[in-house]
Amino acid sequence: MAAPSAAGLGRRLRAWLPRIMPVRWSRYNPSYLEPEVKKESHQKPLEELTEEERELMELKAVRPIKAAPPSLSSSVFSDPMISKFTNMMMKSGNKVLARNLMSQTLEAIKRKQLEKYHKAPENEKETIECNPYVIFHQALKNCQPIIGLSNITRGGKTYQVPVPLTDNRKRFLAMKWLITECRENKHRRTLMPEKLSQELLQAFNNEGPVIKRKHVLHKMAEANRAYAHFRWW
Amino acid sequence: MAAPSYPAWVTRWVSGQWRNKKRPPTLRPPRALALADKVANRREQSTEATCITEMSVMMACWKQNDFNDVPCAEEIRAFYDCVAKAEKERRNQNEDTLSSRGNLPSSKVNKLLKRFPQITHYV
Repeated sequence: MAAPSAAGLGRRLRAWLPRIMPVRWSRYNPSYLEPEVKKESHQKPLEELTEEERELMELKAVRPIKAAPPSLSSSVFSDPMISKFTNMMMKSGNKVLARNLMSQTLEAIKRKQLEKYHKAPENEKETIECNPYVIFHQALKNCQPIIGLSNITRGGKTYQVPVPLTDNRKRFLAMKWLITECRENKHRRTLMPEKLSQELLQAFNNEGPVIKRKHVLHKMAEANRAYAHFRWW
Repeated sequence: MAAPSYPAWVTRWVSGQWRNKKRPPTLRPPRALALADKVANRREQSTEATCITEMSVMMACWKQNDFNDVPCAEEIRAFYDCVAKAEKERRNQNEDTLSSRGNLPSSKVNKLLKRFPQITHYV
């Protein structure tokens, strides 16, 4: 009597609680505006603003503004791709560790490139890229697959059909392949910055296991190109 | 509306009773001889796959250059452009106008017909 009703009440309360407590997403009133993080937009003098910007400024005086998430930064050193990569490297929410690993990786890349730079003869010095951010972006671009495979079932059989990928999916696959390659196929005792910097430098030069994996995917798509008509989008 | 009841003389006249040429009753409409306010549900034909030519050109280039992306940059760019165009068209396709093949799905047709029903009564 009392016990079942208390248990039922507790279950119902727990089911109702996610409605009032935000769980993994934010529930602002629609009248809340997005925060403006870029410094340049705040430093513009009043005369240079266009009509919409003036209206937006007046709106901001009246409406409340959402809290800026901690991942949003106005620093010149923040890079959305690097943040995404750090988040993908993160395990169990340990962002501090992931960020340290990322900065150590970039430092390792810089050190390796500088060593190469100082050892190279004079005429080759310009060709060596020392900026770790440039190397990171170029390596990621080289790792992105151009076409993907998706499972489509026709008449009971599942076929692997070549399918174009969206930009987000390409970026995600490139980052995922890099991280998986570093975690699984390396010697147990090597540290992540060392493994990652080696992988990134290899990908920058269009060689290495991640590029090979991309080529394998392309080859499978090319082999299955007869099934391309099974797509309907 | 149930089977419409025509005046009795119509049925007798059509059946040939007054002409000594009895024939089986010709007017046997099980349903009303008026257009209904809906269309039958038809299975919507799926659209074709887009960008197949660009993809095959790109794959031919890959085969020639051992899957190296650098010499195939033109074809890859063409493929990306085609994909972006197809995606934009899919997004902009207004559902209330005719689709690319000139058909309208049966649900949309039913919605339109419901707005302008067949008047089968005297006003």
